[in-house]
Parts: sequence; C-alpha cells; structure tokens
Amino acid sequence: MNKVITINLNGVAYQLEEGGYDALRAYLDNAARRLEGNPDKDEIITDIEQSIADKFRALLGAYKTVVNAKEVAGVITEMGPVEGDAAKDTPGQSAAGTKSAASASEAGEAGGVRRLFRIYPEGAMLSGVCNGLGAYFGIDPTLFRIGFVLLGCLWGVGILAYVLMVILVPQAKTSAEKAAASGAAATAQEFIKRARDGYYEGMKSWHDRHARRAWKRKFKRDMRGWKYGFRQQMQEQSQQWQQNWAQQAPPVFGPVFIAPLLSILLFLLVVLMLWAIYSIITAHAVFGLVLPATMPMWVGILLMVIAYQLVAWPIKAVRYSCYYPRAHFVYGGPWGGLFGSLIGLFFLAFGIWSLDRHVPEFHEWLAQLPALLHRFADTVQGWFSRPA
Amino acid sequence: MSLEEKFTAIRKGLLEFLVLKIISANQVYAADILKELNATEFATQEGTLYPLLSKMRREQLVDYEWKESEAGPPRKYYELTAKGREALRETADYWQKISGTVKTLGQK
Repeated sequence: MNKVITINLNGVAYQLEEGGYDALRAYLDNAARRLEGNPDKDEIITDIEQSIADKFRALLGAYKTVVNAKEVAGVITEMGPVEGDAAKDTPGQSAAGTKSAASASEAGEAGGVRRLFRIYPEGAMLSGVCNGLGAYFGIDPTLFRIGFVLLGCLWGVGILAYVLMVILVPQAKTSAEKAAASGAAATAQEFIKRARDGYYEGMKSWHDRHARRAWKRKFKRDMRGWKYGFRQQMQEQSQQWQQNWAQQAPPVFGPVFIAPLLSILLFLLVVLMLWAIYSIITAHAVFGLVLPATMPMWVGILLMVIAYQLVAWPIKAVRYSCYYPRAHFVYGGPWGGLFGSLIGLFFLAFGIWSLDRHVPEFHEWLAQLPALLHRFADTVQGWFSRPA
Repeated sequence: MSLEEKFTAIRKGLLEFLVLKIISANQVYAADILKELNATEFATQEGTLYPLLSKMRREQLVDYEWKESEAGPPRKYYELTAKGREALRETADYWQKISGTVKTLGQK
C-alpha cells in the first residue's frame, strides 16, 4: 500500500504514487533549472508537462487510476533530459537527443534505482566496464581505468577482475537500463546530500525550542550511528583482509623447472635494460627510437628502469609462486635472496664469457670498456656541471 | 570510438534540418515529429525536441496553431513560415553540396 499524491498537469488531475511524485518533481525542477534564462521557459515546461500527461493517460484505464512509481520513472526516461538553450549548448556536452549515457545520468538525477551496467559504446574505451563503474559511482571513469591498469601492472589482479567484470556485468542495452546505470543511489555524495537535506528540514522549525532540541539530538544520534557503522565495517573488513593476507599461501604454478627458466628470462631482461641505457647514453636513442632532444638523458634512463620493472614484475610474481611452495627452504628465508643472486651472477659471468669467446665485436667492445667507462663518468659529471 | 559516438555532433547539427524537413511535409505536432525521427538513426526525446522547437519558433522558422484533438486537450500543430521554407531550401542546398563532396572526394 502506497500513499498517492494528486497532481495537476495542465488542468487535468493525475494520481501518482509518492515515489513517482518525487521523481517527477525532481525531473521538472531540473528541467526548469536547465531552461533558466530561456525566454520560452514557461512554454517549454508546459509542453513537457502536456507530453508527460499524454503518456500518463495512455497508461491509465477504467480500473487503473494511479500511476505507480515505476511507470513514472519509465516516462521520465522516455522523455530524456531537457537540454538548455540549444544556441548556448556546447557541442558534445550533451549528445543531441540520442539516447546516450548523458541522458542516462540526467534521468538518473530524477530518481530510480541504480544498477551496475557496462555502458558501451558511449564513452567506452574497451568494453565499457570502467565507464559503467564511473556512472555508478558518479566519478570520472578515467580514475577507474588508471586503477585497473595499476592493479594489472602490479599484481595482475586488475586484469583478472576486469575480464570477470566484462563477463559478469551486463551491458546496458535499453535506455531504461542506461538510466539505471547511473540512477540515484547511496553514494557518498547522495549520503552527504541527504544528511544536509535533513539538516535544513530541521532548520525550518528552529523557532520552536523543543522541536529544535529534539531534532538536534536526533541528527547527532543519526550521525553517530552512521559514523559508528561505517567505522565498524571498515575495521571488520581490514581484519578480514589481514587474515586473508597472512593465511594465503601463493598458488602453485607450473612445473618446477619453470623457475630457473624465468630466472634466465629475467636476466636477459636486465641485459636488455642495460643495453638500452647504454644506447641512450651513447646515441640518445633506444630500439631505433630517438628521444626528443628536449628530454634529459636521466629521464630516458629512468624510463628504461621503470619499463624493466613493469615487465619484470609479473615474471617475478610467477617465479615466486612457482618455487615458493616447493622450495622455500632454498629461496625463502634470509638466504633466499642470496641464492637468487648467485644464480644471477653465474648467468652473468657465463654470458660475458661466452660472448667474449664467440662474438668478436663483443670482445673488441670489452677491450674498449675502460675508455667507455671514463667517457661515461665524464658525461655523468657533465649533467651536474652548469653550462657556462 | 564507435561510429555512433563519432557522429554525435553531426547528428545533433542535422537535427534542425530534419525537423524542418518533417514539418515542411505537412502540419504535425511534436509527437508526430518524434515518431518519424525515432524510426531513424536520429532518435530523439522530448527533452531535446521541445527546446529545439521553441528556439526555431523564436527564430521565426516555424509557427504553430492550436487544434482540437479527439482525445485530450488541444495540441500545437507546427508549420513552416516563409523564413523557415527559405532556411530549409538553403540548408538542403548546402547539404547537397556536402554530401556531393563526401561522395566524390578521393575518387579517381
């Protein structure tokens, strides 16, 4: 059973459920705000009200006299956001009438239940996951993209989570679903707004001392309640995470001989990085790519090191999960690092020895190495000495 | 970037032209215009159309008259003014030129 509110649209009365009334009120208020300064504002609003009335009339019949909240939300979505003066509207700010994500966010302002959807293709880069998340939380989707990339680089979690979301999160197909993708929900903003609304509600009875006191008490109590609940939730979650972290043994990955192979791969990567740095210093170019003349050399070197870390990270992670469960007595513990370094040194020595033996160019280069090192030292000194 | 998204601005820019075309065919009211548009790539909602129509009326391209309808209150039926017909002709010519360019450019 729901309360019904009677409204007057251009001289005809319609009965709406309370939730529907709120949504419609919000939609029309928003429309009026958008049309501020438009000389035909009142007329457009009247037209829009008339059009809404037509849609309501189509929904009602002899035995159905009340428009329910869901139907109101549907009508609002159909109407789409009211655009400001077309002349003042910057292109791209809101897609012209096409049922796009922009219209979804507008309709969402007018109320409705928010659901997580992938929004594709409007504004999506890959599959619309981040776009949908952005709409859902009312945040710039770029932040989610950066987050996923970072998580992907660091632990590979991001990639897994992203793929899962592509599969599990449905794509918003109808405009109603697009509206629901960013409909009003308990986001932080909404939370603050509601709290504030409640605050101003209380201000209205400010002159009445008892009402004021009662309201103040209630407001403080509510705020305490929210704060406490939030804090408790955070504490529980962080404990849970810490437990998981402590208990979780790395998963066993692949046969045991993969670990040394990965070590060799890592070693080759180090060599590649060193070679890249060397070529940056000598030729100011790397992999045939000339660095911009304005870019200082140390930035290039830093970029190489970062690139190496980004590539090496997942390999290291795999190697770790590969040997840890089986041979942590060798790799783990205080001596683990030493063992790994010894293997690395061995490969380095072996590599240099075999190159020196089999590649004459390398032999020559090795003979020049002391001179090169001197030049390199001069260059480094040059970075710090100011130009006269 | 999808085609639909790439052409958002173009669709937006063409909307007035298309509304002029639809109104030029015969007297229509807003819901008729929407029905015709929604059958195409130029699907539009009331929230966009009404402000556009009022802008076009301010620029004296269209005018309306109230007509009784068999169901419900009287409706606004839109028609082109002389200035509107002129604008439509100019726009159509310009569009002809643009689409001609699109067709012929790059052909040997």
